[in-house]
Amino acid sequence: MELMEMFKGRNIRPWRFLVQIGAVLFIIGQSYGLPPFGTYPIFRRIFLPNASCRYINDAPTSCYYYQVQDGFTTGFATNYVDVAIMLAVVVLLIILLGRFWCSWLCPFGLVQEGFEKLRELLGIPRYRLKWKQRILLRRVKYTIIFLTVLISIPIGISALGLTSCQSTFALPFCQVCPAKGFFLITQQIFGAEPWSNKLPLIAIASLVVFSVSAFFLPMAFCRICPMGGLMALFGRTSLPLLKKDPDKCTKCRICARVCPLDHDRVYEDMEKDDVGGEDCTLCGKCVEYCPEEGCLSINYGPFTLTSSKRPRTRNTFLGRFRKGGGDT
Amino acid sequence: MKEKRTSRYLKDKDGYFSEEQIDRTKKRSREMEEASRTRLTSQKVRAKTLTYFDEIMKYDGARSQELSDFQGKGGKIIGTMCVMVPLELINASGAKNVRLCSGYYEPVHPANELLGDAGLCPMVKSTLGSKMVNANPITNNINMVVGPATCDGKMKLAEILEDWVPVVMMNIPRVKIGETSSDIWVKEIEYLSRKLEEVTGKRISKRALVNEIKKWNRGHELWSKMLDIRRSKRPTISGQDAMLVVQASQMDDIERWNKKTSQLISELQDMQKKGMIAGEDGAARILLAGSPMMYPNFKIPAIVEESGGTIVHDELCSGFRLMSDPVMLDGITRKGIMRGLAERYFFPCTCPCFSPNDERIRRIKESIEAFGIEGVVFHTLRGCHLSNIEATKIELELRDIGIPMVKLESEYDEGDIEQVRTRVEAFIEMIKARRENEGI
Ligand code: SF4
Ligand code: SF4
Ligand code: SF4
Ligand code: SF4
Repeated sequence: MELMEMFKGRNIRPWRFLVQIGAVLFIIGQSYGLPPFGTYPIFRRIFLPNASCRYINDAPTSCYYYQVQDGFTTGFATNYVDVAIMLAVVVLLIILLGRFWCSWLCPFGLVQEGFEKLRELLGIPRYRLKWKQRILLRRVKYTIIFLTVLISIPIGISALGLTSCQSTFALPFCQVCPAKGFFLITQQIFGAEPWSNKLPLIAIASLVVFSVSAFFLPMAFCRICPMGGLMALFGRTSLPLLKKDPDKCTKCRICARVCPLDHDRVYEDMEKDDVGGEDCTLCGKCVEYCPEEGCLSINYGPFTLTSSKRPRTRNTFLGRFRKGGGDT
Repeated sequence: MKEKRTSRYLKDKDGYFSEEQIDRTKKRSREMEEASRTRLTSQKVRAKTLTYFDEIMKYDGARSQELSDFQGKGGKIIGTMCVMVPLELINASGAKNVRLCSGYYEPVHPANELLGDAGLCPMVKSTLGSKMVNANPITNNINMVVGPATCDGKMKLAEILEDWVPVVMMNIPRVKIGETSSDIWVKEIEYLSRKLEEVTGKRISKRALVNEIKKWNRGHELWSKMLDIRRSKRPTISGQDAMLVVQASQMDDIERWNKKTSQLISELQDMQKKGMIAGEDGAARILLAGSPMMYPNFKIPAIVEESGGTIVHDELCSGFRLMSDPVMLDGITRKGIMRGLAERYFFPCTCPCFSPNDERIRRIKESIEAFGIEGVVFHTLRGCHLSNIEATKIELELRDIGIPMVKLESEYDEGDIEQVRTRVEAFIEMIKARRENEGI
């Protein structure tokens, strides 16, 4: 019954889903015979600010974090010019698309939403973090960025004699990043990669931790994701913004309750109209569910892309299919 | 359950009030309701579908009969004492809900005799009195009362009522602190759901709950269409009637209420197309705020609308707020549904028992803009300290945006009608004069 109908004002989710699928196809498509971006060296260097992971076979792109780690390790000889240019490009990309990168394009975000959906279907309640835990996780993601840089730089400097550690410590975050394990295993299952059991234990361990936590806690990895972390730093300077008209807000707390990332500024803040920030991935769920006409909106610079509407009963895709079309 | 307690407030309930007194209470209540109904039906422009709602709210009308038949077949009736009780939950347990808060004047006297507190809120006393002498057929046979501990009067009322009927009291966190309060309130709602299951002997299934939520959400959808009609330049329904309609939702089966309301809305829209208007042309657009006014205590709105004003909106927990918020479900887990339900009844509520209550002021200001309000009539029941205190704050805030407000204190009797009328007339005159001044 719940799959047939829903009660909300806007319906952003299906569109987002389509774009996410499109992004995944773009990234992995090549393994399945889509236009071979990979043969042109220039395309091999495309990087996106988020987890379009390097370990997706022949992916035309890579996550910026791979490039950062790589750049800091190998860049000593070139005075880190490469990595500086790359970071500048990333920041530009972030300012242009903000955290749309996360909610609309990141394949790993899609994976986590899959876990969330699975839990919903099984009727298992989500875990809710306490306020203190949320603050802690927020710090964790900046700590990860800091540690990565701290490890990546010295192991690239031969004068320190640490280059021999490179085999163990190169790409420190990739080694524990659950995306690596997830994409490698998936590709092996689907035959895009030859089967091997040489996956490092640590990758498997982090994949297990990730799967369990993403199952119970929506978007569990996003809360510590360093790619998201950099975007969060520019969260309020980038062009896409989540805005609220405080005059229209009834403080009903629906937005904070439905938010997969527990971003409660959207509910708390009654002064500034820009209510995005640290945790918000601009997924638009709060806009879908806010029952007050025009209260919450997603903006791109001065333009309003979509805003909350008075809710009504709508058919879901499945419901439309079953009932033969038409809104109720 | 514990052994049956003996009455602590009335040692000897039978014989405490003479037959004559009881009959008088019933007779006067019936008369009062008739008078109120006549006042409503004698409005010049009035949709025909409204007679259905008259019938629901009628003293000893068809609805009381229906409810006692329902109970005769083993159904349970749950009395609610506040807008913060989740009716979806009651309906999902198979029980029917009735709102206990009484608007009848006469039952105040038995309660006065018992408590001897002349300064106490008359609505509380009337509710108590009704139960004491069984004055109102609708509230005679309730199986359980749900009373959130909101204001002092209601809290103690629930305690006293325990002598007549089992009461479930709910602890309201009166300072809203996001998550913390939410957790407390969710637990209270879960407690209520257990109690309901105990009374009805039926488990509240997830499916039933979702179904009821859908029905009530439909009610919300319809009610916001009604607000559109009232918001327009030419509303075809008076404020009194709108209040009657929304209060009927608390007494009626929600499904039938939805059907009738959607009928009513299409009738009102037709009337709008014909260019009709409820009340006078060019009436002052009034917002009604303050303490609740339960039918048939429609004294104040009637006076306002007889004196050349139209109540285009209200912010009463006995009016607009009964249907103003939907339950938005984002998942289908039982826990998630309960939380959604609980938060719907708690967070958007602007009852003055909450502190701080800035939302109320913000909401009033927002509706002033959206509904083109020209003046606010703030009603306080005698003894309602919470509303009284907030009235001052609201008046100061409204002064800043140049909206006049009049504060009216009222009792449960007809004695103050003329005095109120004089003040309201002067207030509306003033608004109209202002309008002319600004128009030139
Ligand atoms: S393993 Fe993680 S950090 Fe490394 S390339 Fe993949 S997504 Fe990026
Ligand atoms: S925060 Fe989440 S959605 Fe954003 S890049 Fe990281 S994993 Fe992807
Ligand atoms: S859902 Fe909308 S109205 Fe409710 S608290 Fe959030 S922003 Fe305000
Ligand atoms: S605040 Fe709104 S847009 Fe941001 S992550 Fe939460 S639900 Fe999505």
